[in-house]
Amino acid sequence: MTEKQEIRGCVIRKDLYYRVDDHTWVKIDDDGTVRVGMTDVAQNMAGPLLYAKAKGVGTKREKGKPIATVESAKWVGPVKSPLSGEIIDVNPKVARDAKLVNQSPYNEGWIVRMRPTNLQSELAEMLSGDAAVEAYRQKIDKEDLKACVHVEGFEA
Amino acid sequence: MIDGEGKKILVIQTHGVETPRRTYSPLFYAMAAAAMEMEVMVWFTMDGTNQLKKGAAETVKLDPNSDVTLKTMLQQTMESGVKLRVCQQSMALWNMAAEDLIPGVEILGATSIIDLALEADHVMYY
Repeated sequence: MTEKQEIRGCVIRKDLYYRVDDHTWVKIDDDGTVRVGMTDVAQNMAGPLLYAKAKGVGTKREKGKPIATVESAKWVGPVKSPLSGEIIDVNPKVARDAKLVNQSPYNEGWIVRMRPTNLQSELAEMLSGDAAVEAYRQKIDKEDLKACVHVEGFEA
Repeated sequence: MIDGEGKKILVIQTHGVETPRRTYSPLFYAMAAAAMEMEVMVWFTMDGTNQLKKGAAETVKLDPNSDVTLKTMLQQTMESGVKLRVCQQSMALWNMAAEDLIPGVEILGATSIIDLALEADHVMYY
């Protein structure tokens, strides 16, 4: 079972790598590619998503550049790439129904898959496990982020 | 799909606090363009100027049940990297001085807006 922790109701999974300030996560797959998505905190801040428009397959991104734009009724903004690399797949389910990100931010709601070009050194800049939980706890407290409210069928 | 990265968008807002329903959308579109890596500027002129007066935007709320005010929208717009500019001549119309403006807004004159319109890839007028 995946180890995770809740902070103000927001789930932080310990098996993922995070860029806490950008509210993104990375999961490394067996073939060395990565899946990227928004955190539970991010989906909660955005509210029910209406659209998630990812950059196309083949797009090369430096870390920090947007890989997608997401919008809800009250917010629109970028999803910043946590790593440098090339987009090799876009989640078609999220493209059809962005609310999947609200429902399953860490599993079914991944946004893109990437082939990273600088994985090891950029992973070293990210946080995982207890360090990620602690960093998120500090951010949530410092910015007084609201408690996570989950849609029906939420899973993490 | 057209990739607009690097394009310049100029949004001209002529509506102010007396018409709340016409204030949110231009800012939302500006934020969307910024999220898509475009260079975005919102130019406030005519009645649009009055929403930049300190204390004004806090009083405007589109949805009474929401905690999002026009001030929230302006703040989020600036945080997304959008530049806010206001027309010098319109400020006179509303008896506003530089110190009356919310922080982060720059004042430009009429000739500047013409230059900006010529430089932009697209102008959106509200």
